[in-house]
Amino acid sequence: MINVDNIYKQFGKLQVLKGVSCKIEKGEKVVVIGPSGSGKSTFLRCMNLLEEPTFGEVWLDDKLMTRPDPYLHVELIEKTKTYKKMFDARAGESSDAEALKSQIIKEIKEKDLLNEKREGGEYKKAYKEFYKANAIDINKGRAKMGMVFQHFNLFNNLTVMQNLTLAPVKLKLKTEEEAAADAERLLKRIGLFDKKDVYPSTLSGGQKQRIAIVRALAMDPEVMLFDEPTSALDPEMVGEVLELMKDLAKEGMTMVVVTHEMGFAREVASRILFMDEGVIKEENTPKEFFAAPKDERLKDFLAKVL
Amino acid sequence: MLLDGLKNTAIIAVFGLFIGLIIGSLIAVVKLAPIENLFFKALKFLGDIYVALFRGTPIVVQLLLTHYVLFPLMGINIPPVFEGVITFGMNSGAYISEIMRSGILSVDKGQMEAGRSLGLSYVQTMWKIVLPQAIKNILPTLGNEFIALIKETSVVSFITVIDIYKAFQSIANNTFEYIVPYLMLALVYLILVIIITLIVRAIERRLRASDKR
Ligand SMILES: Nc1ncnc2c1ncn2[C@@H]1O[C@H](COP(=O)(O)OP(=O)(O)O)[C@@H](O)[C@H]1O
Ligand SMILES: [Mg+2]
Repeated sequence: MINVDNIYKQFGKLQVLKGVSCKIEKGEKVVVIGPSGSGKSTFLRCMNLLEEPTFGEVWLDDKLMTRPDPYLHVELIEKTKTYKKMFDARAGESSDAEALKSQIIKEIKEKDLLNEKREGGEYKKAYKEFYKANAIDINKGRAKMGMVFQHFNLFNNLTVMQNLTLAPVKLKLKTEEEAAADAERLLKRIGLFDKKDVYPSTLSGGQKQRIAIVRALAMDPEVMLFDEPTSALDPEMVGEVLELMKDLAKEGMTMVVVTHEMGFAREVASRILFMDEGVIKEENTPKEFFAAPKDERLKDFLAKVL
Repeated sequence: MLLDGLKNTAIIAVFGLFIGLIIGSLIAVVKLAPIENLFFKALKFLGDIYVALFRGTPIVVQLLLTHYVLFPLMGINIPPVFEGVITFGMNSGAYISEIMRSGILSVDKGQMEAGRSLGLSYVQTMWKIVLPQAIKNILPTLGNEFIALIKETSVVSFITVIDIYKAFQSIANNTFEYIVPYLMLALVYLILVIIITLIVRAIERRLRASDKR
């Protein structure tokens, strides 16, 4: 469903993600844990392009969300001037053209030799064709991915009901009547139907977060991304939000959850990723993950949080 | 004549503010747009020049240039009141763009992110979510801008518009009675400003009430 292919993210000089790959299948519940500052949020935000990866690609259902990354496609590299020059210069060196080719491609990738502006017309044409054939409109892609933020981010100038209906109606996914009916159903489900006409400022943190979750659900997303959804809540409200997330998981929703709630990870995750220093250091089923961690940093981390 | 003067003052202030709001919002939104292509860089640059020009020169000079140089050169011939509306609108657009910019920046950036994450475009989110909150935040400042605008309109008499100031002035000149007309003039401005202040407060109160319901 989501294929994150070798993404890098730089903020100025700061390297935050350093080659992260992750395939998420339909129905999977992937939990991401790791120390703060390790790049978890950035990783999640790259999935729906709230941050644009510096290198690498993000695919959603065989559709490209990012711009193509030429380093990931041999057929694109082959069309570049850089490749052709290197190949011509070294063609005499070896009789095995195939071996030379893969050697040059490896060097180009490792040394980051491509310069988009100078790779020539043939490359540009191929790049454009590749992009046209595979890209999805970024807003259409995002509409299929729900996102829940640490600080809720409910629209302050809209009522609860309007929060739920704005995007589906504006994006013409539903008529106003359909959107209102779905919103009612969702609000009833979380027991907050009586709040439909109030503004977010009057709600408790737990209520806000549950409404933020159903606001995302109102788009009928294929996958839900959660970025520490309970970290900003008072302890007594954490439970109600986790319960809702567990219900979603049981219904088969595909989920990617960044969290510090180890109980939730153990219970719900089909797979846990340990992110540290901008890479995924370890990846395993919850059982193995907690029982037999291999990475040293993970062992330290688990010792601290458990 | 008094009524005509009052009417002209009101027309210039109200429509000037309206045009200013549109121009100001457009410039602010363009300046803050996270788009880095050449077209937008050019637009942002033009916005900077616009603001610098209109803030860097006195409104009287802008009026005189519009009336005696610019419009005649372009062959535009409209009543001076509308020249006043346009000049004041463009002038306050420059000031409002800066107010609007700080208003937009005062809105939590999570609001834009939430909108974008649902698949709404930048413009949709800006229009439906961010701008309404920005305007609410800057309403008191906008009120001040409007009050300043009303008082500044007195300079339109330079381009032959009879506004409230000019009306009282000619009464004074014709009757050789200065004290009463000019005191009256001050009183009229004062009343206008008080009315605006009350309106702004009422709008603020309504917006705040919608928060707490
Ligand atoms: N927009 C940004 N600009 C600059 N630096 C950022 C930005 N977002 C995140 N960072 C930096 O990237 C690093 C990783 O951040 P983040 O992905 O939020 O980590 P985590 O969610 O694991 O705590 C941090 O050092 C943070 O300061
Ligand atoms: Mg984070």
